[in-house]
Amino acid sequence: MKRILKNKLMVIIVMIYGVLMIFKSEMAYSALGNSTYYLIEMAQILPVIFMLTVAIDVLIPKEWIVKRLGNQSGMSGAALALAFGSLSAGPIYAAFPIAKTLHKKGASVGNVVIILSAWAVIKVPMLANEAKFLGPDFMAVRWLLTVVFIFVIALIMEKSHIKVKSEVEITREDVVIRQDYCVGCTACAKALPEIFMMKEGKAYVINPDLKLTALDDRKKEYLITVADKCPSKVIEVNG
Amino acid sequence: MDIFTIGFWIVGGILFILSIIKEKEKSKEAMKKSRGMMKNMIGDIIGIIFMIGLILTLIPPETIESVLGSENLLLSSLVAAVVGSITLIPAFVAFPLVGSFVDAGASIVPGVAFLTTLTMVGMVTFPLEKKEFGTQFAVTRNVLSFGAAISIAILMGVIL
Repeated sequence: MKRILKNKLMVIIVMIYGVLMIFKSEMAYSALGNSTYYLIEMAQILPVIFMLTVAIDVLIPKEWIVKRLGNQSGMSGAALALAFGSLSAGPIYAAFPIAKTLHKKGASVGNVVIILSAWAVIKVPMLANEAKFLGPDFMAVRWLLTVVFIFVIALIMEKSHIKVKSEVEITREDVVIRQDYCVGCTACAKALPEIFMMKEGKAYVINPDLKLTALDDRKKEYLITVADKCPSKVIEVNG
Repeated sequence: MDIFTIGFWIVGGILFILSIIKEKEKSKEAMKKSRGMMKNMIGDIIGIIFMIGLILTLIPPETIESVLGSENLLLSSLVAAVVGSITLIPAFVAFPLVGSFVDAGASIVPGVAFLTTLTMVGMVTFPLEKKEFGTQFAVTRNVLSFGAAISIAILMGVIL
């Protein structure tokens, strides 16, 4: 049941297709045919997105992203975000994991908006196509206006303090250690050796899928006390 | 695969291999994270794709043509912007479509409104955007983009 609720969209679509199949089967086939083009596009782009998110995570240091794309990056940050979005390939949903990974590493909300918008609107092959069918003047003016408006939208969203809040993250892990700030005091691993362990001078959660509901109340309370006693406050207990 | 997608593959592949060579353990962890993120999205993406197929069948290019060619400029621009927000037709279909109208002497304003919302505003991708970035972010971005598309269309009508 939970699985079905999670894929609400999928269920609704399967139902629409089912109804169409019965009453207007030619329409259902035409819709399936139309979808094929996009399925191929997805299969071509998602593996790249996977590789890129890994590369961003591993190769680019957090400090670099904070400096180049963070809140203080200003116009040069906006220009970098614009270039990055325009030089990519693929539909807008492909930009979501990339933008999310960058935001987690310190890119500002404004620059996330620029990357997403540029990714969707400003593509080099698309610009060539536009110039061919509507003329270079038309293309150039629309490009310029679009860039200006993307910057304005980013600025408005940044200034009105809109935050990125992922629904996926909230339901993620119950116990998290922010290892970047762990000082390696070993207090947690000593207090709760069944939950925490040390590795290369940093504490980590032995079973990342650990659910708080699986612990009895006394254990849970003790876990919260241990988290509070952590000198650098890197243990997050969610729930 | 077009040349840009191939280029994207090459760049992505090289960076990916570099990550593994440089830091094997960290890459493994990043792959696990990325796989989780993808797994969370893939169901929605496939749903979106079949939705697009459906919308393309229900709103064929002929319908878009009748919207772009309508007499009332203000109304047709607004409707064109809304249609652009809902559909997600490939650019290589959209540009010739709008081009043929402009060549036939129609105003460019509805055409620009349509082209701009087509890419910048995504009703179909909205559920996924909301899930990944939050309701406030997704609503604000799409509403502002819709306003921007209308403004760009009007400005283009004045300039050109």
